[in-house]
Amino acid sequence: MSPRSDPNDLLQGTLAILILKALLPGSAHGYGIARWIEDATADVLRIEEGSLYPALRRLEDRKWVSSEWGLSENNRRARFYNITTAGRKHLRDEAAVWLRYSQAVTRVLRTAPAIT
Amino acid sequence: MSDAPRWRRYLRLVRRDVAADVDDELAFHLAMRVERNAALGMTPDAARREAMERFGDVNHVREQLVAHDARRQATEERTEYFRDLVQDLRFGVRSLRRAPAFAAATILTLALCIGANAAIFSVVDAIVLRPLPYSHPEQLVSIGTGAAAGEFLALRERLRSFSQLAAWVEQTHPIDDGQQSLRVEGAAVTTNLLPMLGVAPQLGRGFLDEEGQPGKNNVLLISDAIWRTHFGEARDVVGKRILLEGVPHTIVGVMPHDFHFPATTTEYWQPGAFNPSNVGATWGVWDKKIIGRVASGVSVERATREVRDVWPTLRPLNPLWDPGPDYRRDVAPQPLQATVVGPTGRLLWILFGCVVLVLLIGCVNVANLLLARATARERELAVRAALGGGRGRLVRQLLAESLLLSVAGASLGFGVSDLALRWLLAAMPPGIPRANEIAVNGSVLLFTAGVALATGILFGIVPALRATSANQRPSAAGAGRRASRDAQHHRVSGVLVAAEVAFAVLLVVAASLLVRSFTALQHVRLGFDSSHVIAARITPPNGRYRDTSRVSALYEGLRGRLGTLPGVTSVAVTDKLPIAQVVYGAALRVQGQYEDAKHILPSIGHLQDITPEYFATMGIPLLHGRGFTDADRGGQPLVAIVSQSVARRYWPNGDALGKHIAPPWDSPWMTIVGIVPDTKQDSLRDTSRTSVYVPWAQSTLRYTNEMWVVARTTGDPAPYAAALRSVVRDLDRSVAVSDVRTMEAVVSDSVRKARFTMLLVGAFAAAALLLGAIGIYGVMSYLVGQRMQEMGIRIALGASARGVIGLVVGRATRLSSLGAIIGLVAALVTTRWLATLLYDVSATDPVTFVTTPLLFLLVAAIASCGPAWRATRVDPVRALRAE
Repeated sequence: MSPRSDPNDLLQGTLAILILKALLPGSAHGYGIARWIEDATADVLRIEEGSLYPALRRLEDRKWVSSEWGLSENNRRARFYNITTAGRKHLRDEAAVWLRYSQAVTRVLRTAPAIT
Repeated sequence: MSDAPRWRRYLRLVRRDVAADVDDELAFHLAMRVERNAALGMTPDAARREAMERFGDVNHVREQLVAHDARRQATEERTEYFRDLVQDLRFGVRSLRRAPAFAAATILTLALCIGANAAIFSVVDAIVLRPLPYSHPEQLVSIGTGAAAGEFLALRERLRSFSQLAAWVEQTHPIDDGQQSLRVEGAAVTTNLLPMLGVAPQLGRGFLDEEGQPGKNNVLLISDAIWRTHFGEARDVVGKRILLEGVPHTIVGVMPHDFHFPATTTEYWQPGAFNPSNVGATWGVWDKKIIGRVASGVSVERATREVRDVWPTLRPLNPLWDPGPDYRRDVAPQPLQATVVGPTGRLLWILFGCVVLVLLIGCVNVANLLLARATARERELAVRAALGGGRGRLVRQLLAESLLLSVAGASLGFGVSDLALRWLLAAMPPGIPRANEIAVNGSVLLFTAGVALATGILFGIVPALRATSANQRPSAAGAGRRASRDAQHHRVSGVLVAAEVAFAVLLVVAASLLVRSFTALQHVRLGFDSSHVIAARITPPNGRYRDTSRVSALYEGLRGRLGTLPGVTSVAVTDKLPIAQVVYGAALRVQGQYEDAKHILPSIGHLQDITPEYFATMGIPLLHGRGFTDADRGGQPLVAIVSQSVARRYWPNGDALGKHIAPPWDSPWMTIVGIVPDTKQDSLRDTSRTSVYVPWAQSTLRYTNEMWVVARTTGDPAPYAAALRSVVRDLDRSVAVSDVRTMEAVVSDSVRKARFTMLLVGAFAAAALLLGAIGIYGVMSYLVGQRMQEMGIRIALGASARGVIGLVVGRATRLSSLGAIIGLVAALVTTRWLATLLYDVSATDPVTFVTTPLLFLLVAAIASCGPAWRATRVDPVRALRAE
């Protein structure tokens, strides 16, 4: 993983990537991000939704994400998050590392003898 | 959030708390999830439960977020604050550089005012505020003065609240350093005094306990000053034997340079030896001063209460006489610091008050300048406001500018204070306690910084608020609006002028009271003629002059030799020189009126031993009877001469000559043979007027061999000083000569403190007057400038030049009168603090209280003449077009 990442478990980094990816199409509030992850992973990665918010704060501290208050689709006051330019760049880097890593692991697992 | 919308800042201004935002965000999330669950067909309960389950620990998340957001908000506010501050300061520097004359005038005014304040404060700090330089000075209590050794020993046994008690007596003895005999001030101290204060010698050792016994106390500690000037800082001075009163004493140590106890003039210390078996010395001599160290854990209040309770109970201990029911009822123990500082403390606070007033006046002047400047910058401020500078921000900007000015003023003022302090130290009258400790230090720096900050805000806030409030209105408003806004400005200027005049009046009243009382002192009738007289103190060492005939021979020889010097018309010897020393009152028995020593006897001014030529030498005329002659000597009938007031008091019919008086102790009657006028005795303020003179040759009550010699000369007496010294040296090298001064110098030295106070307060008052005049001139110029149009119209409508001048000058004098009235009321309330410094002038002296306001009206009229004259030169046509 990139040296800038938290020395936390895999999920921390994963969660950051998921959030940034969720914000790529446009700004969203926390619930929106949760819903996007739910749909995108077909609810396979059941993340604890509460952990989204501390993660968002950390991303904000690193200036990968910005936030502002606005009105939601049903006219409620909600905090909307945006991915910043630095955030996009980070996502690209992280994605590349992740893909290389998972390809390597996949290749290892595919070599003989096959796992039963 | 660096690019947060504007309104968020204002939200933060009212400090909307971050917890509410976090709650909103989380509540929104949960609500959305519950709605979706419900839409999927769950029951409301299940929907909520499922939402909570998905979310996890809500409270934990909430706490995490609130803590995080609060931290972030604080950081942002700090950054924003500093960014704004730097911007404001940069802006301030730029705008001040565009107005160098204004900046220079302001900074200079502030530098002088702040510098004077810092200088006076360093004196106040060193003398009054800073703790004494001893260990745990707060525990040191001055228990009492004028105590007998027996009382000290008894108190030491009985007082429970004190861990230690020590005593001392100030004494003056001739010291012979090998080359010359010097009269040096010192102190006899109990051996525990120095350890009790927590001070040790820098060289050698302190006193041993056994050195406090009679016969073993021939040891000395000397001051750093004596060590340097007379022993060349030689380290082998310890162990050296020198003559004190003609008796060899061993120097055991040198005290540190900053040790000055009990006075700044104390040059040596000797163990005081108590011999309880000598009842007369133990109970008959009431000259000891007692201090104590309060035991730890005991309050100073409790300790002083114990002293007040215990001391009067010692009454039966006195074996010599019964001191009476009022014995020691009036003891007033107090912290040692209060005793050391004494009345100087009040004087310093008065000076400090005066210099603060000058600073306030300076601030008002600067505020006026800023106000005028803010008006001139109206357009600039309007533009800034239009570009979105909120009022708070603009006020801050203007305040930053004034703080910049005050900090620059204070920095320069710090240099000024150094110069002022040097002058103060040089001009300060001698005898100021702790004067050696005066220095610019951390607390003075802190004070100066505090003053800079306070003045910056003080003179900046009014103009800043005024300027920005005018700013809220469109600057293109019509003439009517402009007039009303101008009226407001004028009112503020008016208040400032009135305040300034009030402060200045207060100072000038104080100064003129001091000047008047000093003048009164200068014109005091001395009762003697101080011109053409030189005096000197002669101190023969007791060790060589135990025999009274030797003493008489010394002074006879001195009278004879001095009398033959060319230009000397008469020479006399006396035990007390008027004005030069404190004179203690004495009681008197009067035959046929107050005879019995057991009665309470009337107190007279003093009893003075003189030689026959004293009256001629001092220029005191004989009113009735005869003077003394050489025939009035021991063995002959005892005679006395009294001052006029004594004669009038006891013999109102004018038949004092031939009557008999005597001192209270067991002594024979003396016959009054002459009457002389009253003379001032211990100071120019002396009001006792009563003196009894006796021939020295008949005096049987000599405490000391030390006498004053006075000589009248035909020409300037000052050059006789050297001759006087050499005559004494030729007679006996071991006799010390000191205080060789003309009588005129004696008199003028006695009022040095009064002169110093008067000069200082006078300087402050002069500064106040000048600043006040500048302030009035500035405001009137500004007002005339603002009302050019009005003046033009008035002139166009036929107003005479005199009318226009009257208008301007009238306004200035009206404002000053208002200020003067306020100042006078303040003076009425505060000048009683000066009462102890005044002589022959009431603290509410009518002359001062009438002339001072008149002076200010005159100053106001003169200061406004220039602007008024300019007003008459207004060209009506141009003034009207200008709008």
